[in-house]
Amino acid sequence: MSEVLEFEVFSGGEIVFDLSLCKDCEVKACVEICNSQSGGNVLSLSEGLPSLQKSRGSIKKGGCIECLGCELECLKRGLNAIKINLPIKCFEDYLVELKKTGLKPIYQLNDHNS
Amino acid sequence: MPRLYEYQAKKLFEKHKVNIPSGIVIDSIKKAENAHNTIGASKVVLKAQVKKGKRGKEGLIEFSSSATETEEKTKKIINRIVEQYSEKSILVEEAIDFKEEMYISIFSDSHTRKPVVMFSLKGGVDVEELSISEDIYYFNLDIGKPYYLFNALNDMRKIKNLNSKLLNMLAGLLVKLYMIYLEYDCNLVEINPLVVGEKGLIALDGKISVDDDALFRQKELGFDQHSEIGIRKPTLLELCAGTIDEGDHRGSAHFVQIDPDGLESFEQGLTPIGFNSVGTGAALTTMDELIPMGYNPINFCDTSGNPPASKLYRVTKLIFSQPHIKGYLMVSCVSSQQLDNTARGIVKALLELYPETEGKPNVPCVFAFRGALDKEARRVFEEFGITDSPHVLFLERDWTEKDAVEAFHKLYSDFYKA
Repeated sequence: MSEVLEFEVFSGGEIVFDLSLCKDCEVKACVEICNSQSGGNVLSLSEGLPSLQKSRGSIKKGGCIECLGCELECLKRGLNAIKINLPIKCFEDYLVELKKTGLKPIYQLNDHNS
Repeated sequence: MPRLYEYQAKKLFEKHKVNIPSGIVIDSIKKAENAHNTIGASKVVLKAQVKKGKRGKEGLIEFSSSATETEEKTKKIINRIVEQYSEKSILVEEAIDFKEEMYISIFSDSHTRKPVVMFSLKGGVDVEELSISEDIYYFNLDIGKPYYLFNALNDMRKIKNLNSKLLNMLAGLLVKLYMIYLEYDCNLVEINPLVVGEKGLIALDGKISVDDDALFRQKELGFDQHSEIGIRKPTLLELCAGTIDEGDHRGSAHFVQIDPDGLESFEQGLTPIGFNSVGTGAALTTMDELIPMGYNPINFCDTSGNPPASKLYRVTKLIFSQPHIKGYLMVSCVSSQQLDNTARGIVKALLELYPETEGKPNVPCVFAFRGALDKEARRVFEEFGITDSPHVLFLERDWTEKDAVEAFHKLYSDFYKA
């Protein structure tokens, strides 16, 4: 059985579950919050582990409402087993161009008065 | 709203058999002479391709009677538009003789939620000065029904002082314009001036803007921007932001840099801050409160219509990647959207941007939530310890825009005093 549960979302990006960590999770907060969300209901428990109750195709078409609740609840109450990667097209290009000007994004500045 | 250049609008007119003057787009002085000779008219008009009105009054439209003159005037116009608007295209067109100018447009009326046809026998410059009651005719179209020539004839017959020949021509034109309006998801299709020439009705100028929520299916129009950003080119950050809504109809994330390099703030002695809002009305009211208090929101951002948290995540990363901001203010209107999702998007972004402080930002931040699930939004912020930072304030439910700005001001003052 695969140790990873992975699926793509509508806006571009993917959600990755490390099921080897989920085995030891007692709360399964991801499933709880997913089923509390109107339009969610992507996750269910199968043999004690998170699994999909919708097809990957329907999830990619918007079946997951991308509330990000699973990742945050897992981080807070579970074992930090979920990673949601949501790329922004051309954002890296922006950061490269910004660097060339000698400027940094505000979140990288240590001295906020500079 | 994304708007086509005049020459692009005219290409769509031509495709739909609307008469336009023969013309050539040039982007250098070298091409001017050849363009003049190719058109072969005794007189040509040179029109700067910038997305703004009243170009004639600004000297961005010139007439020429010889190739040499065309070259000289091209040089003059190109130098101006490169400097002022970072544009370099000029439409060289056959100059058309005409006696009278008319005006016709179809636009999306948010009040009636219908396309509205507006027509006047007095078009041209300063058409907006006309009296609505006397000089301008307008009527709604039913977007759910087809619009045939006989419908257009019936509608246009209500206009006084139209002879039958002109009535027939106008009705035919109206059907074509409505096809353009529908086919390209427009919110404005305008011809001004519309004149009668030898070939019939001729569109001497055209304006077409497209509903930005429909851009994902209007790729052939070639827009590289997804927001209303005026007449300048979009910044790289705006282009990034434009991709967030691309193909994702769930709510919106409109992001525009008002002062991309922070220079305007510096010149006006204002403090640049990042800004986000749920609802444009709340955004404008808050921005109006910010300026007198000495803060310049250097970006506008509206994330409303119940977007997924992923949109908030992405847009928050963009806002905090601006190098000049000295603080951040987020406000919501009394919103029906799921504000807990809004909060999750912001919190995920902060956790990633500030891993060393576990999401606590390095600039003063006010998060002002009002509306559905705002208590849950607070819980999300509190649970992740974001509100433990002395530089973060979370406001819930009972506040006004002025309260939010005053709270931000106090936070900001304390932060930079420390």
